[in-house]
Amino acid sequence: MVEKVTGSKGDFTVIVRKKARYVNEDLCTGCGACAEKCPTTVPDDYEMGLGNRKAIYRHYAQGIPSVFCIDPDYCRTFQGKKCGVCQKICQAKAIDYKQEDKVLELKVGAIILATGYDLFDATRISEYGYGRLANVVNSMEFERLSSASGPTEGHVKRPSDLRDHNLIKTKEKSLKKSTRTLAKYEKKHKMSTADFYKQFTAGNISDGDEFEKWVKQYENVREATRKLEELKARAEKFDIATRLAFIQCVGSRDFRFNKYCSSYCCMHSIKEAMMAKDHDARTEAYIFNMDLRTVGKGFEEYKVRGAEKLGLHYVRGRVAEITQDENENPIIWYEETTSQEVKSLTVDLAVLAVACEAPRGIEKVAELVGVALDHNRFFKTAPLNPLDTTVPGIFVCGCAQGPVDIPESVAQASSAASRAAEVIWQSTIEYGESHWKKKNPE
Amino acid sequence: MNKDILIIGGGIAGMQASLDLGDMGLQVHLVEKLTCIGGKMAQLDKTFPTNDCAI
Ligand SMILES: Cc1cc2nc3c(=O)[nH]c(=O)nc-3n(C[C@H](O)[C@H](O)[C@H](O)COP(=O)(O)OP(=O)(O)OC[C@H]3O[C@@H](n4cnc5c(N)ncnc54)[C@H](O)[C@@H]3O)c2cc1C
Ligand code: SF4
Ligand code: SF4
Repeated sequence: MVEKVTGSKGDFTVIVRKKARYVNEDLCTGCGACAEKCPTTVPDDYEMGLGNRKAIYRHYAQGIPSVFCIDPDYCRTFQGKKCGVCQKICQAKAIDYKQEDKVLELKVGAIILATGYDLFDATRISEYGYGRLANVVNSMEFERLSSASGPTEGHVKRPSDLRDHNLIKTKEKSLKKSTRTLAKYEKKHKMSTADFYKQFTAGNISDGDEFEKWVKQYENVREATRKLEELKARAEKFDIATRLAFIQCVGSRDFRFNKYCSSYCCMHSIKEAMMAKDHDARTEAYIFNMDLRTVGKGFEEYKVRGAEKLGLHYVRGRVAEITQDENENPIIWYEETTSQEVKSLTVDLAVLAVACEAPRGIEKVAELVGVALDHNRFFKTAPLNPLDTTVPGIFVCGCAQGPVDIPESVAQASSAASRAAEVIWQSTIEYGESHWKKKNPE
Repeated sequence: MNKDILIIGGGIAGMQASLDLGDMGLQVHLVEKLTCIGGKMAQLDKTFPTNDCAI
């Protein structure tokens, strides 16, 4: 993290805190043996909480640097419990619980801000039910659900089914344990539980503490088995989500939240619908939009291809509300503006195309480097100097200056790099000239 | 006179700027708050408009 910036164009001094990883970067080979054995499971941010990781982890498999890192908020050793498993398992002797942050001082001539964006928090629009209805997800969650390397290997599962699946697993485990207890009673009293229960309820066995417990255990097992069967029967009815609704402009073009258009979400929803269709030809995808904004090289053709070749449905209208039926299927309520009718559509999964917002903490970065923010909290730029901040020698690119897609981020990054290099070359020339003048007075 | 450049944020924008500056022969310090670079793009399987793999 950058902690302090002083100086000006051509001559900045920056204090950076290099956070401890608790794993020696020079020794870690990235083998992952530590994570395999680590007993602490944590919801995985990279998978948007739809999958799990360990307390010792890598942000994602192909991540660079490919060094592991301990999360002290969850690690047992840091939480004062006994563990140390990773240290024992690591052949490279890379684990170092005592590693400390390093504070570095850097001398730089120019700075580029590329701090990107955050996703709009869809719980702020309560009528869409995000966080309340299981099968309403945001666009990044959908990206992970439909990713071949994601938690469901690219099969678009409904979150409610994932939840039930986990529930079935834990219930099966506890049922196994209870059944083992029954077996103990059976062995001790040389009688099957069913026989015992018949005799006991007929009053043939006199009551005693242990028999009471046996009866209770048996009744519990019976009830748990019934519930498990019910859950399994329900789970069997659903395979993967093939009826999908994409809801556009969630938190964008909305006077209550952000007035601006987030620019890339129409395109990513079309892409996500295409991917889902590609994965399962039965997919029917509905994209609810006020207008589909596909501005960019080849973008309009992409949209047309989606409708004509893949049969994606583009529905014109802003969604008013999302409710759900008894199977937790989302019901989308909307006015179809072309026919001016209020309609509803039941789907398996609703995907909210959430706005691109300035990241949390951007105010702190702005204060540190001394640049101004605009009224949408992105770094302030001018139309004719789109990559210059309000401080000379400090530039910005990508979503840090406002919502843009990847091609635009890349183009801006290359220009910001040139602008920064210009500062360095210019001061090199000026430095050379003044040096030359000093040596050669008139 | 300082010749190095600081980049804050290692998403696609910060990575591209670093690569360009590196190609120009300049030394770059890239500061990223997460444990790996890549930003949001690293979470995407495929990207529009080509539907190519993101990483
Ligand atoms: C669901 C979804 C799908 C998308 N699909 C596509 C697509 O198919 N094609 C396309 O072109 N675009 C797509 N986009 C848009 C794309 O994600 C962005 O254009 C791109 O990621 C912007 O890159 P960036 O580097 O500006 O920001 P980011 O990717 O947000 O990177 C910013 C980086 O800076 C770091 N950072 C932030 N603050 C600090 C700090 N204070 N100190 C240090 N580091 C910091 C962050 O951790 C992050 O690594 C999609 C967006 C979404 C939400
Ligand atoms: S010490 Fe921490 S990171 Fe290492 S195995 Fe134990 S819980 Fe996991
Ligand atoms: S790109 Fe599309 S979904 Fe995103 S804010 Fe603009 S119009 Fe709405």
